Amino acid sequence: MDRWLIVFLTTCSYLVLSLTIGLLSGRRASSASEGYVAGDRTLGFLVLYFIMGASIFSAFAFLGGPGWAYSRGAAAFYIISYGTVGLVPWYFIGPRVARLGRRHGYVTQAELFADRYDSRLISALLALISLAAFLPYLTLQMQGAGYVFSVVTEGRIPVWGGAAIAYGVVLVYVFRSGVMGVAWTNTFQGILMLTLAWVLGLYLPYRLYGGVGPMFEQLAERVPEMLTAPGLDGAGAPWSWGGYSSAIAISALGFSLWPHYFMKIYTARDIRTLKKTVVFYPTFQIFLVPILLIGFSGIAAFPGVEPADTILPTIVTQMDLPALAIGLFCAGALAASMSTGDALLHAAASILVKDFWRVLFAPGMEDRAQTRLIRVLVVVVGAVAYYFAVVSEFSLVYLLLLSYGAIAQLFPLTIAALYWKRSTRAGVLAGLTAGCLVTLVWNLFPGLQWQDIHPGIWGVAANVLVMVPVSRRTAPPSAEQVEKFV
Amino acid sequence: MSRLPRPRNPRVQRLRRAVAVFFCLVFLASIWPVYPLFSRIQPLVLGLPFSLAYLVILLVAAFLVLLGLYLWEERNGELE
Repeated sequence: MDRWLIVFLTTCSYLVLSLTIGLLSGRRASSASEGYVAGDRTLGFLVLYFIMGASIFSAFAFLGGPGWAYSRGAAAFYIISYGTVGLVPWYFIGPRVARLGRRHGYVTQAELFADRYDSRLISALLALISLAAFLPYLTLQMQGAGYVFSVVTEGRIPVWGGAAIAYGVVLVYVFRSGVMGVAWTNTFQGILMLTLAWVLGLYLPYRLYGGVGPMFEQLAERVPEMLTAPGLDGAGAPWSWGGYSSAIAISALGFSLWPHYFMKIYTARDIRTLKKTVVFYPTFQIFLVPILLIGFSGIAAFPGVEPADTILPTIVTQMDLPALAIGLFCAGALAASMSTGDALLHAAASILVKDFWRVLFAPGMEDRAQTRLIRVLVVVVGAVAYYFAVVSEFSLVYLLLLSYGAIAQLFPLTIAALYWKRSTRAGVLAGLTAGCLVTLVWNLFPGLQWQDIHPGIWGVAANVLVMVPVSRRTAPPSAEQVEKFV
Repeated sequence: MSRLPRPRNPRVQRLRRAVAVFFCLVFLASIWPVYPLFSRIQPLVLGLPFSLAYLVILLVAAFLVLLGLYLWEERNGELE
């Protein structure tokens, strides 16, 4: 049998298994929107652990992560640092959010804030920010999946075909099973990703250099500038401490508030489960170490690979590995892409219906009808993302740059909503708007940059500086309203 | 509508606040100007350059501290 055929069949087995798990898992949930979006609030520790781990680590884990280490060295360390602190806010806000969700029936992020400030505008605004942040992220996942397929079948399956196969599977199980499909496939996909990362990350340095220590000894002589932070920038020149530090800050601020993670708070069975997930998250996060080792292992052994993101597929296909191993790599990389893509797709459709359409146009919409509409939108959002991923020449990279800055604007809002009694609707809306505008302007005019600091940081500063005085100068919300939340 | 439940044990609030402060310190330790003091190649720790090992140590410390708080809360019945 041809090598590529074994690779292809191994990959297909993974896809069939994902599909089966995804379809079967849907039978556990009710058909109410609480079941489709929040899994009837029944998820236990292990599943929630893998949902968080696997949806956080996207196609970036096996393509971009090693690519960063390969081309920019220690610059990639920032990914470890923001994850170290990023999910911790959940330990403190999570229990409150979960209780409020249970009490008032929330299943999305915006429902909580809209209710807190009695504002439909907040709901619609958050829905738009979420969607603008999700779309480029989702297209990247599709491109990543298509790319992996294309490389390991030596071009026999084009990128558009690979993306269509992988995301066809995702579409079916998300459509059918909602968050339960996402949850149980992510468990399977997460285990696959972890195994693959640790095996490859320890095997490659051993095989190519005789061990991790010998590898870094060798790199210390050849490229010492790549082993100490802040490493190199995208062009290969030394990166700045301002850029490195602010990248950590902006990612850590937004990390726990990405809407597709945030709404998983509602899926937890109880507070204990939620806290335990936050506590054990670093045991998933530490798999970034072998991921980065993979990238470092390419520096001396496979110089000059372009683009850098292809370093892992290049190493895997050029080393004399058994076809089955390459197939497993392909499956693992697809798992990384799909476990993020499915959560994004499910969240985007849910948010569009719950926080945008229902709030603005159909306040009396029946619950079952909402679930039906979410299903339709899963297909629509999937199709739009696919269009941008493989058909359109239009690049969404710019939106992606903006998205981290935009999501970080939710941080002041969240703190105000849960801890600051005096915050008002006008205050948080003005803050949110100012924060997003400043982020946008600083992105549009790079001349405003100072010390290479991320535009989103200025946005968060503006957000707070506007929210506080505006809140103080507007009439406080009724004590009764505030008591429910703070 | 009733208020959200508050911790019964006043020590919980203090402990949680201390842990929150600890995490702010971990964050500060991983950026300029603290991290540059530790961002060097030698000595290698378990084969990793010191710059990377340092971040792994922070991650493990963060994990252990939060685990400690969790176990403490569990023993004192604050997880319900």
